[in-house]
Amino acid sequence: MASESKKTGTKAGDAGETRPLLLLAEYESAGDVYHAAEHVRDAGYEKWDVHTPFPVHGMDKAMGLKDSSVGWIVLVMGLTGCLTAFVLMWWTNGHDYPLVIGGKPGFSLPSMIPVMFELTVLLSAFGAVFGMLGINQLPKHWHPVFYSDRFDRCTDDRFFISIEAADPKFDLDETKSMLESTHPSHVELISEEVDE
Amino acid sequence: MSKPAKKEGKAPTYRIPADSPWANAWKMAAGLGALGIAASAVGMFSDTHRFAFSWLFAFMFFLALGLGGLFFVLGQHLTGSGWGVPLRRTAEMLMAGLPVFLILFVPIAVNMHELYPWLEEHGAGHGEEHEGGHGGGHEGGEGHEAGGHEEHGSLLGFGTQAQAQEARDPWDVHPNEREPDTRTHTPEHAAHAEIMESKTWFLDHGLFLVRAGVYFLAWILLAYFFFTWSTRQDKEKGLALTQRMEKTAPFATFVFGFSLTFAAFDWMMSLEPSWYSTIFGVIYFAIAAIIGHAVIILLTLAMRRSGLLREAISVEHFHDIGKLLHGFIVFWAYVSVSQFLLIWYAGIPEESTYYHLRWWGGGGWMNISVVVILAGFVIPFFLLMSRNFKRNLPWLGFSAAWILVVQIGQLYWLVMPYADQTGLVETQLHLHWLDFAAFFAVGGVYMAVVLWNMTRFPLVPVGDPRLDRGLHHEVV
Repeated sequence: MASESKKTGTKAGDAGETRPLLLLAEYESAGDVYHAAEHVRDAGYEKWDVHTPFPVHGMDKAMGLKDSSVGWIVLVMGLTGCLTAFVLMWWTNGHDYPLVIGGKPGFSLPSMIPVMFELTVLLSAFGAVFGMLGINQLPKHWHPVFYSDRFDRCTDDRFFISIEAADPKFDLDETKSMLESTHPSHVELISEEVDE
Repeated sequence: MSKPAKKEGKAPTYRIPADSPWANAWKMAAGLGALGIAASAVGMFSDTHRFAFSWLFAFMFFLALGLGGLFFVLGQHLTGSGWGVPLRRTAEMLMAGLPVFLILFVPIAVNMHELYPWLEEHGAGHGEEHEGGHGGGHEGGEGHEAGGHEEHGSLLGFGTQAQAQEARDPWDVHPNEREPDTRTHTPEHAAHAEIMESKTWFLDHGLFLVRAGVYFLAWILLAYFFFTWSTRQDKEKGLALTQRMEKTAPFATFVFGFSLTFAAFDWMMSLEPSWYSTIFGVIYFAIAAIIGHAVIILLTLAMRRSGLLREAISVEHFHDIGKLLHGFIVFWAYVSVSQFLLIWYAGIPEESTYYHLRWWGGGGWMNISVVVILAGFVIPFFLLMSRNFKRNLPWLGFSAAWILVVQIGQLYWLVMPYADQTGLVETQLHLHWLDFAAFFAVGGVYMAVVLWNMTRFPLVPVGDPRLDRGLHHEVV
């Protein structure tokens, strides 16, 4: 079942020396990939990922992922926004150059609430979106999985686990046999040509 | 994943066993209710004025709970929710207690003249004869004097009006406030004649009662149909009743929204007839949603503690309903600020009396205002913010209880300033034993109905086709 295909960065065939980048295992069902992920997690790998066409419930547990830190980014950004709005309005109209508007005091909290709220929401949203992108290292224009033709089906009906060669536990033969023991429908090695 | 097959074995019936403390909880509620009614009956004769206000406060709080339950049920059907099916029956129990408010409304209908100043004025014309302001509006003022606001020190308050006035920044003094002439702030005063004139047809004794009848009819019908359909489905199973409930839900939501809004206008906003706020009904809706969600959390947590619903409701459900509670707290703060901001900006007399009464009006209400803002929004906003907090069930229960207590205070803050009023800008906060008596009377009767219904039906809609999906709900 487990065949092996080599791709190189330059698509230059078998000439020259190659270096492994990534092992890609393909599964036919969400259940298979779920249990395989548990297996990889227990084997102690760090630089690996699961690719599925839709969110698989409980996958974060199966992968042993920790709580996302996006919430903390959002909290800090939200508080920053709230404080920025407050300080800006206090400084401009309450302290530095008070203007009487509508007969209200220069420094009046009620009129600040909408701006403080809006800036809190704005910076929180920025924190959530860009924090998520940053933590996921997105957008990513190049990744070894792009060299796999089979990987295209990840957006359709196939499930994948990729283990990067940069992982400290990565060993070509050992990792491959470990992946094969998780009943994949296919295992693929992606490697690149080594420049002289 | 996709291993829905848990332990097969015996399918749970989700019934309260006869030896469970929940089987007799309704008797305890009924007992408390009976005590409350007895005490309230005494108070009704000794201090009719205070009794009417205490009762209205308790009535509006528990009505909000029933309507909150109805809202949760409607929301579930509107969205075709699967996750909330195991929680829905608890909300339906709260909803099914709504008809009892028709009976609980009787003391309000009987004592309307104590509550609503527009009633005094009605038929008497816009009276020059009312000089002493609102207090003078009560015949002989016997109820009012018995209430005795002078000698009661405020239990909660530490600020007197003198202190409040001293602390004022000259910037903050509204032109209408510089000479606190209470006479210009009575609804009978010529300054309000135009507003009062335009409201005369609406604030009419007969029409008020007709409207109340319409609200109760709407709620009783909604509660009756959604409860009987759901409990009938327990036996019949099948998709047909789910489809019927989902088809009815949009129309029912309109009925719910309009009836709740106008009930809030009639029963709470018209306590100060010259005042108006178009968002007032939305605020009462937000309160109802908060109270409803908080009580659903507390009831289901309490049932889990005694071993019920453990197979049905998991931390995943609590996480999601915790999010909703958090959201509705933000919503409530948002609409409350929306009301305040427009009134604050304009600063015109007939609108600003409402906040004047609760801030500069003295008598300790300013403290409650601060507590409602901090303990009602700022603190629970952080209490329920984190995912881990919402999934920590003791923490969630504590937060829900905290929020519930603050919302009781908020209802008190909405109703009671008018109980001890001398003119529209001055009032005195003091707790009265009748507040507690009425709270136990209304709450005891209503909760007895809710808890009694719980012993008669399964605690989970066992016939709902989406139940299985709901039982295995998982927050991604």
